[in-house]
Amino acid sequence: MFENLSIPVGPSSCAEATTAKEAAYRIDYPLPAARNTRIIALDSEAAAIVRGASELEWGQARFYETSDPGTDLVTMDGRTVSLEGEIAESNTIVMVSASGENAAAMAHLGEVCYNRGIMTAGLAMTPGNLDSDALHNLRPHARVLLVPAEPDDLVELLWATRA
Amino acid sequence: MLRTEINELLTQTGPGTPMGDLFRRYWQPVLLAEELPENDCPPVRVKVLSERLVAFRDSSGRYGLMDEFCAHRGASLWFGRNEENGLRCPYHGWKYDVTGQAVDVPSEADNGNFCASVKLKSYPTVKLGDVLWAYLGDPDKQPPLPEWEAYTVPDGQVFTSKRLQECNWLQALEGGIDSSHVTFLHGGNLDTDPLFKGSKGNEYNKGDLKPFFEVVDYEGGLLIGARRNAEEETYYWRVTPWVLPNFTMVPPRGDHPVHGHFWVPIDDENCWAYSFDYHPTRQLTETELEAMRAGKGVHSANDAAYRPLANKDNDYLMDRDAQRRGVTYSGIEGIALQDSSLQESMGPIVDRTKERLVATDAGIIKARQKLRKAVLALQDGVDPVGNRPQDQKVRSVATVLPREQAFVDGIGEAMKAEPGKPHTSV
Ligand code: FES
Ligand SMILES: [Fe+2]
Repeated sequence: MFENLSIPVGPSSCAEATTAKEAAYRIDYPLPAARNTRIIALDSEAAAIVRGASELEWGQARFYETSDPGTDLVTMDGRTVSLEGEIAESNTIVMVSASGENAAAMAHLGEVCYNRGIMTAGLAMTPGNLDSDALHNLRPHARVLLVPAEPDDLVELLWATRA
Repeated sequence: MLRTEINELLTQTGPGTPMGDLFRRYWQPVLLAEELPENDCPPVRVKVLSERLVAFRDSSGRYGLMDEFCAHRGASLWFGRNEENGLRCPYHGWKYDVTGQAVDVPSEADNGNFCASVKLKSYPTVKLGDVLWAYLGDPDKQPPLPEWEAYTVPDGQVFTSKRLQECNWLQALEGGIDSSHVTFLHGGNLDTDPLFKGSKGNEYNKGDLKPFFEVVDYEGGLLIGARRNAEEETYYWRVTPWVLPNFTMVPPRGDHPVHGHFWVPIDDENCWAYSFDYHPTRQLTETELEAMRAGKGVHSANDAAYRPLANKDNDYLMDRDAQRRGVTYSGIEGIALQDSSLQESMGPIVDRTKERLVATDAGIIKARQKLRKAVLALQDGVDPVGNRPQDQKVRSVATVLPREQAFVDGIGEAMKAEPGKPHTSV
């Protein structure tokens, strides 16, 4: 296994390329933001957390609240818009639930995203509580779940993913 | 993405740095026991958390870990003569015991007072299992000895190896937390590696390539659950614990031994991966030990200095043909080198301002946040977690659960390490 399978060549070899000196030559250019992350609160407690996050500065992220059946979303300034229209160009939606209410809306969001290949993340905002309705109702529909999530997890997740 | 100042906060572990202060509240692996195999054996150099130290085992079997440099004029005590319960500097003959206390200064008048005033900084060091552990922090804050299950089982049930990784500790740790790379990078190894193959779980793994992830916040760190469809009414769960600051454990497969890692900073640009395999209820078999020594599973084939034989100087023995044929996904042989080759390729300290993280990186995002919070809390005088026995008695788990069950709820007892209790594995 350890005979000479590869012949490292000069500056293109790992020995050279992995040094701190070479790391400085990593080219620098602006990275695009995430495409249209949509953050959707599923109950009033979650909405307060989502509203707080919405007040920070974001790239293309937008913030909403919804309830059953989940076909419409309500923007932070109170306009009703259609889910289909708002996620048309989205890569990721983040569902935020505290009480676990509006399970039908979660299922609808999950299904629409599944059909369109949109990534779903879920935050069960139940600090100190591992097992909750929020968790159970989000679980089938969120590819990634934070359990329990704290309010600053939403901001961290959005920040880290360049939303 | 991570701001530059937070990247620095989390990656710098030298004396006086905030993250260094956090690390200095934990017992950390500093040597394999085999490196000091017998009384009065040669001393060895140890660099940990950016401190240069020397370790030795005295005539009575006590372990010493202290400042590498002689108090007199700074010669390295690696050259020392290990004799009669002390390490003697060969330059002018000053001799130190395992606590760093000078016990003989032959160049001075025969006066105990001078001797008593010379002491090298030293750290408590103990052997648990096949590893030597040291505590580099404030003696008043010294936590109880570690109670990781792998190091409390009877002799013969654990095997530990170490491997040099030429990048910052956090890059290596993040690989241990990142469950979503396993299907890709290590995909080829499940069927072939003697330490993984043949478990029912492997079939579930391959039957569902798009797992769901649950990142569960628990007291000592995080539990990262990957969930795949098993049968009609059930999910196959693999649960990876991360305990602060640098312990991760891999979920088991069948009756194979269970493995995990400590990612120990050497300096800010290098770390040791201490990788263990243990079985909670039986001796490791000779076949298993042979495979581990040969570098299978999470281990690696190394030179005498614990540097992998496949390393950056030989392009990790990249095999483009194996890559093309899919024998290995990256062209690199073995789990350990598959990970470390890519982590080293990011550079000694990766620039996290240039990352494009996605939602499946939620475990990494949350772990960084918990580390940052622990560092800040420590500055406010809040004691850290992860150094208490209750945080350490944790197991990784692989299991099949009814779909409606929360994994923490469903696994509950299975995650708690208890002597003689079989592990939960599929
Ligand atoms: S330098 Fe060690 S005894 Fe002088
Ligand atoms: Fe890996």
